[in-house]
Amino acid sequence: MSNSLSGPSNFADDGSAVIARQLEVHHSKLASEAQDKIKACSDIYEIERTVGAIKDRGYKRIALQFPDELLPDSGLVAQLIRNQTGSSVFILADTSYGSCCVDEVAAQHISADAIIHYGRSCQSPTSRLPVIYVFGKQPVDVQDCATVFDGFFAKDKAQKVILMYDVIYAHCVGKGHSVSKDCRCESLLSTLEGEKSYTNIVKSRVETESNLGYVLSSQDVSKAAGGCCQKKSESVCCGNKQASSTESSSSSCCQSGEKSGDVACGSSTGGCAKATSTMQQAGAISTGMTTTEETPGNNKRRRFGRTYNLPEGDSIEDYTIFYIGDESPTLSNIMMTHSKCDTYSYNPEKKQGRLESAQVNRALMRRYFLVQKAKDADVIGIAIGTLGVASYMTMIQHLKLLIESKGKKAYTFVMGKLNVAKMANFMEIDCFVYVACPENSLIDSKEFYRPIVTPYELEIALSKSREWTGDYVTNFQELLPDDDKIGMDKIKISQAQLDAASDREDEDGSDVDSDEDDRPHFSLVTGQFKQSKKYTTNKEDSKELSALIEGSKDLTLRDKNTSVATLMSSASGEYLQSRQFKGLEVNLGETPVELATEGRAGIARGYKTEDGYGDRETEKY
Amino acid sequence: MVNFTIDQIRELMDKVTNVRNMSVIAHVDHGKSTLTDSLVSMAGIISSARAGDARFMDTRQDEQDRGITIKSTAISLYFAMTEEDLPDIKQKSDGTGFVINLIDSPGHVDFSSEVTAALRVTDGALVVVDCVDGVCVQTETVLRQALGERIKPVVVINKVDRALLELQVTKEDLYTSFQRTIESVNVIIATYNDKVIGDVMVYPEQGTVAFASGLHGWAFTIRQFAVRYAKKFGVDRSKMMEKLWGENYFNPATKKWTTKSADAAGKPLERAFNMFVLDPIFKLFDSIMNFKKDVAFKMLEKLEITLKNDEKEMEGKLLLKTVMKKFLPAGEALLEMIVIHLPSPVTAQKYRVENLYEGPMDDECAKGIANCDPNGPLMLYVSKMVPTSDKGRFYAFGRVFSGTVRAGLKVRIQGPNYIPGSKTDLFVKSVQRIVLMMGRGVEPIEDCPAGNIVGLVGIDQFLLKSGTITTSETAHNLKVMKFSVSPVVQVAVECKNPADLPKLVEGLKRLSKSDPCVLCFTSDTGEHIVAGSGELHLEICLKDLEEDHAQVPIRKSDPVVQYKETIQAESSVTALAKSPNKHNRIFMKAIPLGEDLTLAIETGKVGPRDEFKARARILSDEFEWDNQEARKIWAFGPDANGANLMVDLTKGVAYLNEIKDSCVAAFQWATREGVFTEEQMRGCRFNILDVVLHADAIHRGGGQIIPACRSAIYGAAYVAQPGLMEPIYLVEITCPETAMGGIYSVLNKRRGHTIGEEQRPGTPMYTVKAHLPIAESFGFTADLRQATGGQAFPQCVFDHWQLMNGVSNEDPKLIEKVLSIRKRKGLKEEIPPLDRFLDRL
Repeated sequence: MSNSLSGPSNFADDGSAVIARQLEVHHSKLASEAQDKIKACSDIYEIERTVGAIKDRGYKRIALQFPDELLPDSGLVAQLIRNQTGSSVFILADTSYGSCCVDEVAAQHISADAIIHYGRSCQSPTSRLPVIYVFGKQPVDVQDCATVFDGFFAKDKAQKVILMYDVIYAHCVGKGHSVSKDCRCESLLSTLEGEKSYTNIVKSRVETESNLGYVLSSQDVSKAAGGCCQKKSESVCCGNKQASSTESSSSSCCQSGEKSGDVACGSSTGGCAKATSTMQQAGAISTGMTTTEETPGNNKRRRFGRTYNLPEGDSIEDYTIFYIGDESPTLSNIMMTHSKCDTYSYNPEKKQGRLESAQVNRALMRRYFLVQKAKDADVIGIAIGTLGVASYMTMIQHLKLLIESKGKKAYTFVMGKLNVAKMANFMEIDCFVYVACPENSLIDSKEFYRPIVTPYELEIALSKSREWTGDYVTNFQELLPDDDKIGMDKIKISQAQLDAASDREDEDGSDVDSDEDDRPHFSLVTGQFKQSKKYTTNKEDSKELSALIEGSKDLTLRDKNTSVATLMSSASGEYLQSRQFKGLEVNLGETPVELATEGRAGIARGYKTEDGYGDRETEKY
Repeated sequence: MVNFTIDQIRELMDKVTNVRNMSVIAHVDHGKSTLTDSLVSMAGIISSARAGDARFMDTRQDEQDRGITIKSTAISLYFAMTEEDLPDIKQKSDGTGFVINLIDSPGHVDFSSEVTAALRVTDGALVVVDCVDGVCVQTETVLRQALGERIKPVVVINKVDRALLELQVTKEDLYTSFQRTIESVNVIIATYNDKVIGDVMVYPEQGTVAFASGLHGWAFTIRQFAVRYAKKFGVDRSKMMEKLWGENYFNPATKKWTTKSADAAGKPLERAFNMFVLDPIFKLFDSIMNFKKDVAFKMLEKLEITLKNDEKEMEGKLLLKTVMKKFLPAGEALLEMIVIHLPSPVTAQKYRVENLYEGPMDDECAKGIANCDPNGPLMLYVSKMVPTSDKGRFYAFGRVFSGTVRAGLKVRIQGPNYIPGSKTDLFVKSVQRIVLMMGRGVEPIEDCPAGNIVGLVGIDQFLLKSGTITTSETAHNLKVMKFSVSPVVQVAVECKNPADLPKLVEGLKRLSKSDPCVLCFTSDTGEHIVAGSGELHLEICLKDLEEDHAQVPIRKSDPVVQYKETIQAESSVTALAKSPNKHNRIFMKAIPLGEDLTLAIETGKVGPRDEFKARARILSDEFEWDNQEARKIWAFGPDANGANLMVDLTKGVAYLNEIKDSCVAAFQWATREGVFTEEQMRGCRFNILDVVLHADAIHRGGGQIIPACRSAIYGAAYVAQPGLMEPIYLVEITCPETAMGGIYSVLNKRRGHTIGEEQRPGTPMYTVKAHLPIAESFGFTADLRQATGGQAFPQCVFDHWQLMNGVSNEDPKLIEKVLSIRKRKGLKEEIPPLDRFLDRL
């Protein structure tokens, strides 16, 4: 609230409560609480790498994105970077969506050249700006972890296990740790393979593996993405203002990316992965096609920025997953998408290990129910939960097309972080589909008035070609047709398809295939037949409507009934019809005239005359 | 069997006055199907084209294996009356040929829904009662249902041979047993009788009661004997009929009728029924079973029964059967009774129309139905779906009440949720073909006029189980059937191979089509649930699902039952809930609705669609509500028709009607998922006492009000002595005295609670009635059989919801129960704390 307003208005308080609000955050180890702040800070936040990368590319305006729990450190980090690079540094806080996603839009407000993302990341590929990920390192007791691992797998040393981990523990897992000077702890993998002689462990790799690798692979991302972005940015997502800056930054990063790519791969992976494979990954990210990329003789898979190579002939079902990290969206994501594998987890903070798979089936079943709900929905809201993840616009377009092709009505909402109250304001929506990064997509919607599903679930619900198989996809990019490029091209194609589809519909005449479409489907939610409402206006309707609009320009006698009735065929009109309250009613002559009396003062949260008014200031949130 | 060409059959259908649609209903094992068989073998219509088919009455394999009927089956019979009998028919008729469309229904309680579906399309019912067992629980249920549908009953007392052969009763004993049975039937009829159809009590002397042995294939009514004796004595047959039942005695010495059981000298006289009706039968039985063939043959001569030579060689039971069949052929007696006493569609639809049609009684459809007019607008009720040989497709089986249905006719298909004038649950499609359902076979026909039963092809895609087919755009629905059983027992099913899921889903859809009562849905934990009326019903459904509908191997969970959440007292404090933005407040209190009102809502006596003033009057007159309050009922819930109410008791709140929709939405949600177990609520009334709203509309939108109202409801219920209700079966067990001990021990082990025990008069059998929690009933039948050496056979039917002892969040046992339900549902295993729902001011 700006200063020009003096004091609280009648309708709302002055917002001071918001400023003063205390947030409970999950504390991880903060640098600012350490003895030697600067030392700890550069250690945890990898200042050295970051600075190096910035200098390499000559970024001038840099956005630092912190999650809420790391905000106390932000000042220190910003200061260090500013001092060492001389670039302008901005701190972004309070992201509109999940803090795991890169907030490109916020960065564009300050015309940043690059974003450095701190903390846990969902590793969703972004479309516009170069991003450097800094996960922040949290300690792991490798010996203890290995013991826990032993407890699960000691019976069969040849058991096939995939090691997965939360990004903040990435530093102590792989063999590549020796490259990193900061990491003094032992590698878990070498412990397991060396001391405990496990033979079939496959390690997943987070996309930005070693310190230098972070920069480089993310550079690759941005480079490749930038390449496409040039087309996209012109018209689609960002306004024209940013277009030029994006273009310049991406082209600059292209050059540097090209230059340093080979060097980086050579040094970072230490022969582990070939330079070409890094490039491939980068390519994979940029095209948004991330499911399974199988090159002959190399069984490589990628999910949520994690890559693993399975020996030839093995399928993922043969493996058990061992996950290092706390309960988190990442873990549930991994479990959902690998529902056929057993998953064990190790919590480095509590030093506990456990079998996680038991709940995953439940969770999947619950999602299945939501799919059924989505199937019954007539009006579907597309809630946009990201402005950063690559090809989200394509996805939205795709969803709209899908929804409309089924004769259902789609509304699009941009509403930042979801909450119960916000979503319940749209009672006419039967079901929401949430387009967001994989880690934010799974919303257990028990508290929500309407179910919230992921694009994958909606696709299962509406499209005949997809069936529920128990495999689960949280990353919506995997849903888009492979051959389509991201960006404008795709949208154009979709538009063309839409036109073609609607043309076809008109030619066919509605009677032939309508029989098939008209048929009610068997709703598994109610166990009854559900007749789908049709909201797509067919040509006749739209002609009528246009005639009506046309006609309205002339002076005509308005027939009260028809004008209302025509509008009633729309979804919202129909909803309004079913409501009991349809707006203010003028009951002329029915309301007795009375003298005005003094009413209540203040706001509803606590009117001034009421008891307990004084308490409201101290009320806890 | 009677052979007809399809054209001849079609011709018969036009003479609606000579059509009788009737169902055979009874308790399980009272011999419906056996009796039906004897009718079919005599009079079943088969088209000449099919005459060679060996298994005309092809029934399900499992029906034969278990010896019970599972699905109802329709058969057409043909019966020709003699000219002289025609005057006995008290309604209009046309010619001597009659078509009887008979539906054989299952007797087991679990399949009561099949009976309901059968009753809807018929006008009369043949109630079969075992002469030894008498009137049983299911007899009463089906009879009550029939009367509710305004269906006229006639009674057959079956298994008379058993009484004679096994129990060796005397004539007078047999008479009293008959009389007792008839009396108990009449008591039921008197209780549930609808005055509109007139007196439908049954009287042997009027010929509405028959005595039969389905097994031996013989039956008689008083009329048969009266006709014989009328000829012999030269008396009027109706007078004779009256003499042959009741307190009428014939003094052979004076050759005079009297109503006293002793003559002037005080010597006891024999009852006329015993003397003229039972005596010949007893004598025949006695002579044949005791191998006094010469006596028997002499009698046969008197009775004008001629035996073929090879038949004369027979002995014992076989001979008895043959003789009795010739003496008193079952078909003749029963069909005669049906034709004379059961109404034709023309007669029946006049009084049934009010009960059948939802719309006004003076519109064209109502008139068409009342007159059974083949030229009126088409009104057809589809009462069930019958699987075709084509997998996944169904015949829509139903009755034409008005108009004529033709192949190719464009019709309006109105589902159960159709609201006149709207497009919901309405499809306009053409009927592809129509068929006559003859046993398991079908015969295509061109058209079918009002009053007949048909199968429609090509509309099964648009109706799940039942619905109305019409050609009139203004037609309302024919009333949705009300089942006496509800799907209270559930199992979760899953396919063994995850890849079969689409097949399973398709299978569930087909299963729910094929059975009028079963419910298939997905729970919010994502499990596929199949809900049936009882263990046997579920067993059959799952078998069908696995073998026919889905054809994939499935795995099923243990059966579970639904519970209901309720409250036992008024909220101890006023529940206050604030909206997420703290700007709106809702004050609420919960009060128990009372069992009477709850039941009234559940039975539809009080409902959301009633006119509110009329409803308020009922509430204030019968349930002691304040008339003003009663007018302010906002909603019924869950599903807008459940037995919970939200009432607005606020005074002078601005913008109140603006939040009504949000409150109702919250109320529906909260009553669907109760606070402790997320089971439905039942019997709660929520009073909105006061509401404080933000002045700005955007701050009191649905997003703010729904969560607030929901937690207010939860809070109010939480402090109102919340309780849990479990469903209870009424169990009726028939057994010999020796098995009683076993029964009690099994009942005790399962929290059962005996409510009555009586000996069946004239038999060594006892009937035990008990209440048994459904949750404890799984495996009950098997247990009982084991404990009693197979002598006890229970019938379980859902009876009521029983409050469990204690308060949900206080009683340790109940807490345990709540937690176990929460665990099954995958909810957090803790009782949610109260402060989650209640706000401070």
